[in-house]
Amino acid sequence: MTQETIDTLWTYGIWLLTVIGFSLLMIVGLLLIIAYLLLMDRKVWAAVQMRKGPNVVGPFGLFQSFADLLKFVFKEPVIPAGADKGVFLAAPVATATLALTAWAVIPVSENDWGRWVIADLNVGVLYLLAISSLGVYGIIMGGWASNSKYPFMGSLRSAAQMVSYEVSIGLVIVTVLLCAGSLNLTEIVNAQQEGLGTGIGLPNSFLDWYWLPLLPMFVVFFISALAETNRPPFDLPEAESELVAGFMVEYSSTPYLLFMLGEYVAITTMCALTTILFLGGWLPPIDVAPFNWIPGFFWFLLKVVAVFFMFAMVKAMVPRYRYDQLMRLGWKVFLPLSLLMVVVVAGVLQYGGFV
Amino acid sequence: MSKKLIIDDTEIEVEDGITLLQACEQAGAEIPRFCYHERLSIAGNCRMCLVEVKGAPKPIASCAQTVNELRPNPDGSPNVILTKSALVKKAREGVMEFLLINHPLDCPICDQGGECDLQDQAMAYGVGGSRYVENKRAVEEKYLGPLIRTFMTRCIHCTRCVRFMTEVAGVDELGLIGRGEDAEITTYLEHGMLSELSANVNDLCPVGALTHRPWSNTARPWELRKTETIDVMDAVGSNIRVDSRGPEVMRILPRNNDSVNEEWISDKTRHVWDGLKTQRLDQPYVRRGGKLRPATWEEALGVVTQKLAQTEASRIGVIAGDLCGAEEMFALKSLMDRMGVANVDCRAAHEAFDPSLPRSSYLFNTTIEGIDDADAILLVGTNPRLEAPILNARIRKRYLKGGCEIALVGAQVPLTYRYEHLGTGPAALSELADGKHAFAEILSKAKAPMVIVGAGAYRRFDGEAVMALAARIARAAGKDKAADWRVFNVLHTAAARVAGLDLGFVPGKGGLDTAGMLEFAKHDGLEVLYLLGADEFDMPPPDDVFVIYQGSHGDAGAHRADVILPGSAYTEKSATYANTEGRVQLGLKAVFAPGEAKEDWAILRALSAQLGHTLPFDNLTELRAAMYKQAPQLQRIDDVTPATEDPCSALIAREGKVSDTPFAEVISDFYLTNPIARASRVMAQLSALKAAAATDARVTPFGTDEASVQYQMSPEA
Amino acid sequence: MAIAQAVRSMFLTEFVSAFFLAMRYFFMPKKTVNYPFEKGPLSPRFRGEHALRRYPNGQERCIACKLCEAICPALAITIEAGPRRNDGTRRTTRYDIDMTKCIYCGLCQEACPVEAIVEGPNFEFATETREELFYDKERLLDNGDRWEREIAKNIGLDAKFR
Repeated sequence: MTQETIDTLWTYGIWLLTVIGFSLLMIVGLLLIIAYLLLMDRKVWAAVQMRKGPNVVGPFGLFQSFADLLKFVFKEPVIPAGADKGVFLAAPVATATLALTAWAVIPVSENDWGRWVIADLNVGVLYLLAISSLGVYGIIMGGWASNSKYPFMGSLRSAAQMVSYEVSIGLVIVTVLLCAGSLNLTEIVNAQQEGLGTGIGLPNSFLDWYWLPLLPMFVVFFISALAETNRPPFDLPEAESELVAGFMVEYSSTPYLLFMLGEYVAITTMCALTTILFLGGWLPPIDVAPFNWIPGFFWFLLKVVAVFFMFAMVKAMVPRYRYDQLMRLGWKVFLPLSLLMVVVVAGVLQYGGFV
Repeated sequence: MSKKLIIDDTEIEVEDGITLLQACEQAGAEIPRFCYHERLSIAGNCRMCLVEVKGAPKPIASCAQTVNELRPNPDGSPNVILTKSALVKKAREGVMEFLLINHPLDCPICDQGGECDLQDQAMAYGVGGSRYVENKRAVEEKYLGPLIRTFMTRCIHCTRCVRFMTEVAGVDELGLIGRGEDAEITTYLEHGMLSELSANVNDLCPVGALTHRPWSNTARPWELRKTETIDVMDAVGSNIRVDSRGPEVMRILPRNNDSVNEEWISDKTRHVWDGLKTQRLDQPYVRRGGKLRPATWEEALGVVTQKLAQTEASRIGVIAGDLCGAEEMFALKSLMDRMGVANVDCRAAHEAFDPSLPRSSYLFNTTIEGIDDADAILLVGTNPRLEAPILNARIRKRYLKGGCEIALVGAQVPLTYRYEHLGTGPAALSELADGKHAFAEILSKAKAPMVIVGAGAYRRFDGEAVMALAARIARAAGKDKAADWRVFNVLHTAAARVAGLDLGFVPGKGGLDTAGMLEFAKHDGLEVLYLLGADEFDMPPPDDVFVIYQGSHGDAGAHRADVILPGSAYTEKSATYANTEGRVQLGLKAVFAPGEAKEDWAILRALSAQLGHTLPFDNLTELRAAMYKQAPQLQRIDDVTPATEDPCSALIAREGKVSDTPFAEVISDFYLTNPIARASRVMAQLSALKAAAATDARVTPFGTDEASVQYQMSPEA
Repeated sequence: MAIAQAVRSMFLTEFVSAFFLAMRYFFMPKKTVNYPFEKGPLSPRFRGEHALRRYPNGQERCIACKLCEAICPALAITIEAGPRRNDGTRRTTRYDIDMTKCIYCGLCQEACPVEAIVEGPNFEFATETREELFYDKERLLDNGDRWEREIAKNIGLDAKFR
């Protein structure tokens, strides 16, 4: 073995180890955060209903998610006799894996050390769109493999719903891309350092972020994100009052846990994406002391949590849509609106002297 | 004659001489009552039946007023009677309030609760409250024997029980003493009531003052499943209602049937119920190494099959017992016919019945209802009081009506009516037959004479000859009488007998009867003896006879048995019984047989298949169809096939030499006549009490004491 | 009008007002009763676990009248009765309640003429096996002894409304 080979291996080995290390760090951190987001979800929902929510496991119920984890893991997985066993078990794994995969390209901060992201793809947005579209496969596989009518109907709804809202999400992202001029997520964030606020002479602040100029798109994106992740009021695939639990009817134990995990990871992904696209990522709300002393990562986390809070509030506030209303909203409102906005934004950028 | 009345706007014409209460009932009006009972004399002391008669100054107790006694209206128009007027309502409410003054409100602990006349009528006719604030009276409990539990505080002094004991049971044991608040029902000497009908007072009591002691506090009427079936304790075939809860028989009550038992049943019929739960054969047994050991059905039937198949047909004997239903006798007879066994018999030893004679030669031809029309009765070798208490009550009822001469040939026993004792044995009978005795004259002069031949007469070596004598008397007495009047009557003691004779369950060609089989067994001739519930003969057969016992209770037969096939008691199967009149009645299944016991016909059907002589029926319907083909009279459920042929000449044809032995008393202990009764604790108690009474002068016995016989036979009012 | 409606939809006015309404509830005092540590109030008429009561002298109240058995719509009660050995009074020899059948309708205590069978204030009698819920007479009398004070108090409180 030549020295050159050894050097090569050494170099790539280090790189590989680094990537694996960062990935593990990301996954563990992400899962921990999700454990508490889940608790927060329940707490918020409880608070709106004037309940206390989980408060028995650990102080203020802080260990509730871990208790749930243990409970799910130790339960007996029931696989229906008529189910396609392989697909039935592959479905939740696919859902969870795909949801976690999305986080490879999501930057959580940038500072002197570099960009806090595992893979700094220059087509990160496309990657995200691709991965999140794949998420629907887990649900379709699960619903089909259960060999039961409710799961099947749930997965049919889910497929239609996700496809519908991906269209508008895509167009909304196009408007952001037009503004930022890049498909790289870090650069999209950086592009928000200057905007409407700086345009009128203010320091770098939250007014520069895209939520303000693209406000309608922000709203459309938020709503579509709800639909994309099957969150209430668009949780028709689950629809416990009509379809029992939709595609998850036949699932129990760890496979069920993986579905739930995948769902919450997807939600967190959407929160992160909202943060990155519209809320300035890790940028402090006002770029003055003491706000800019705080590391960007915490701003990012705070914004994600804030968006998630909105997700939770929506769940508490809004009743479930009817399926036809959902479709109407997706195809007849959001699609024309976002198309129009693409044209308007492009027009403003082209003829407004921004290029 | 009839009389016109207007009852509640309905004009009705009623028979002369009936009471106002009956008239109101005929008009469809409901009259509440406590003391009135159609089978008892009228007392008129509860005042609940008050009705308003237009023109009368006060409400009238309708039970005690005959329609003729009503004062005619001046203009000749029919009397107007109101049963729903405000006055009547107020009167009833008042009576009810008075009755409830001293009646305790302990319905929740009262056994009568749920089927209580007072409870029902207080709900229907009473008012909600009472104005009585003083202390209620309390009355000491009385001891009325092991069958009757008293709560005398509840008594409303209707005196139904007193009237029943005096009139129907014919025992002056109960009475009402004291007046007003001190009035009490009591047996003057506080001894147990000793009458074979005493427990009927519990049914008559409209409140919970007299309740059944043996099943006291155990069940409520609403939780019992009621099965209407037939009693087998004697050959009367009393109609009973078996009340059961789950797998258990909880009580037995009478059912009304005017042509059989009216609404009475004997104490044995009623309280034998606990014998159904003890000493039961609930699994097959096979004797191994000298001891009976539990076995499976396969084993037991296998042993029986092997034994029966190995044995020569002439060395097999079959005896059917006293409680068998017609179905199983038919099944067994058919099986034995197929196997060529001729030694079959359903009669106890030396019973002189022959089914080849006209059927009327072994039936109670006048029918039980016919007793009401008789005006001269000759009892031959029988003690109807023990052999058929219900029938005895009928005779007493006829006797009370007056104009009926009764005479007895046989042991002088205390009956509940006055009779002329003509002699103890066949000698007196011969005298009568030859017309030498005064009573022969009475019989021939009577319009409707009866000769009742009992077991003491026909269950003898010379039974046929005695029957012939009786038949001669009957023929003489029956001369110039109404064409359809049958004088000759046989009083059976076993419920199974008539059906057995009808089915020809008697020795075939060259076969032996019961006595013959037992004799044959003593000389090493008989090898297998099949007992179908037969316990009432001289046990045990010699040791080298292989005994198969099929029955419900572990009694004499089962103790001697080499194989026991557990069958069902009469409450556990649907079976046909023909009573002593030949009245065919269908018993129904009230509960399931305990353990592995099966219905008897099913056991025989299974055995027949193993023996290779499969009987041609798979269920009761098919069995009955086959049975009816052989004995069509058994088809007429609840009916008597009238005797077309007079049996006398056929019987007389068998005249023979009679011995001088007096007629025996066949029933030594009324309470222990069959395996079920012998398993019953209540029956044992009663039997012991009766035995004690025989020696204790304080207790009125009904068996031997001459003084009490005289006392009971004192003239009735 | 259509435009106003469109604008309202656009800017999610309903959503925003709902959000503020929800936030108001968000900060309201919580109604949760922290169950095993704190318990809600119980009516004196509360129909919980059954109990057979005794008289103060220790004698069983039940007289085996079987009215409860008769009225029980779920057929949960099974009674066998008989005269008591020492004094011949009417008593139960068996009193079973199948708590898995019971629907807690309270008709048994309504039917009882001596206030023997009552549904007490206890509702915490979950068991690990089904068999433990087949109560027999001993268990019921035991319940009666344990809860007598509360039961007596509740009956007293409710007496004036009967």
